[in-house]
Amino acid sequence: MAVVEFQGSSFEVDEDGFLQKFEDWTPLWVDFVKESEGIKEISEDHQKVIDFLQDYYKKNGIAPMVRILSKVTGFKLKQIYELFPSGPGKGACKMAGLPKPTGCV
Amino acid sequence: MAFISSGYNPSKPMEGRISDIGPRHFSEFLPPVIAKNFGKWEYHEILEPGVLCHTAESGDKAYTVRCGSARLVSVSYVRELCDIADKFCGGHLRFTTRNNVEFILDDKQAALDLKAYLNSQKFEGGSYKFPVGGTGAGVTNIVHTQGWVHCHTPATDASGTVKVTMDAVFDQFQDMKLPAPVRISMACCLNMCGAVHCSDIAILGVHRKPPLIDHEYLDNLCEIPLAVAACPTGAVRPTKVELEGKTYKTVAIKEERCMFCGNCYTMCPSLPLSDGEGDGIAIMVGGKISNRITKPSFSKVVVPFVPNEPPRWPTMTKVIKKILEVYAEEANKYERLGDWANRIGWERFFEKCELEFSAHLIDDFRDPAYYTWRQTTQFKW
Ligand code: HEM
Ligand code: SF4
Ligand code: SF4
Repeated sequence: MAVVEFQGSSFEVDEDGFLQKFEDWTPLWVDFVKESEGIKEISEDHQKVIDFLQDYYKKNGIAPMVRILSKVTGFKLKQIYELFPSGPGKGACKMAGLPKPTGCV
Repeated sequence: MAFISSGYNPSKPMEGRISDIGPRHFSEFLPPVIAKNFGKWEYHEILEPGVLCHTAESGDKAYTVRCGSARLVSVSYVRELCDIADKFCGGHLRFTTRNNVEFILDDKQAALDLKAYLNSQKFEGGSYKFPVGGTGAGVTNIVHTQGWVHCHTPATDASGTVKVTMDAVFDQFQDMKLPAPVRISMACCLNMCGAVHCSDIAILGVHRKPPLIDHEYLDNLCEIPLAVAACPTGAVRPTKVELEGKTYKTVAIKEERCMFCGNCYTMCPSLPLSDGEGDGIAIMVGGKISNRITKPSFSKVVVPFVPNEPPRWPTMTKVIKKILEVYAEEANKYERLGDWANRIGWERFFEKCELEFSAHLIDDFRDPAYYTWRQTTQFKW
């Protein structure tokens, strides 16, 4: 597994740039990833999505379904893509430190 | 090779981005005779194996020459197809739903010349590049999947098993002497990407051992509730294990409940199950999707396991050849393989095809299994 260094911190990641351990997540991780996910600045809306994903994962052990993410944050799928151009899985979940989505993706 | 930019600017990824434009409209690519007579076809004939003739109300005729392809092909192969299309068909060609290639011409002699030309083209190893056939009551191309070429869940290979099967039944690709068309399909795991569940003969990759559990990484890489819910038999449950004084959240698998489907691995990378000796192939028969005479039906498992024997899979091809030969010999005209087996009775099917009937073939999955048992005294000794 590769280790990436950013501003004095190091993160263990896989070949797709997902964090290997949720507990390694720090706000610095978001700063590090945002560029590769096509995001200039983390807005309040970005933070709201990240916070909800982390909260849901801690409570339920899974990432929320897209409809739940939309319903709870109030952001339609279109808005989520405006915030995270790679989408809720590859973009938002990666930044939130959740495990890589699986299945026939 | 050094990096060559396409013009995409990684520091402004959304600038100049084109999206949601969909596929090109098919009408941009129609040969003139097809564009002109679109929706006005009167009848068609199969002139000879691999050559069709469609006659339009206008009297125009379109001659189609169909040839086999390996589906997994290089750009050089596609360029060769384009060269042929340029030379014979004004630059037009099409691919069929079974990944054959069709060239459409408006002259009969030119079509027959093209057939001769295609049949004369070979790879260095001696294989036909563009064997003409796949029409009428024969065996056409095998719908297949990724296998060891690209997927991470296969229990066998796709391109390899398909090549050896097509070699074994090649005569039937270039001929039309069977009672009805025989569709052979292949899937390298029981996700069944493709058509194995509804084909006359199907090749299916299967495992025979439960997954290994990578306890140390599982909770980091997997959403545990998804792995639990992935199991059709409820064999997976969440648990904790202690390794070298550290407690890990993980899953436990009740091995006597596991039937090696591999669904939990699809959801969770820490549950791999592929195994050189354990993995192999199940053969299914009797499915179809058309509504002709009898309604569509699923294929049924008739051989629970043959080993993986790369590169030629001799046991598998022998079984397939035998089934095809007995069917060709015994079935009535128009009878699909499943229609024939249903008419003579499955006990006769096993007897005639010399297949062993084992307990593996008896359905034991939930309530519907009951309906696959025999609730009648009608059977043949
Ligand atoms: C030329 C003489 C006969 C003809 C043409 C004839 C014809 C038939 C036909 C068409 C059926 C219906 C089969 C089906 O369910 O598809 C039938 C059923 C039956 N026949 Fe006859 N039959 C004849 C003589 C007899 C005789 C002599 C007996 C008894 C001594 C008999 C007893 C039965 C019985 C018990 C059934 C019901 C079988 C079942 O439900 O499985 N038949 N017969
Ligand atoms: S059938 Fe299974 S192994 Fe084969 S391509 Fe589909 S998912 Fe992958
Ligand atoms: S392989 Fe299939 S049956 Fe076995 S534990 Fe995994 S999901 Fe359940």
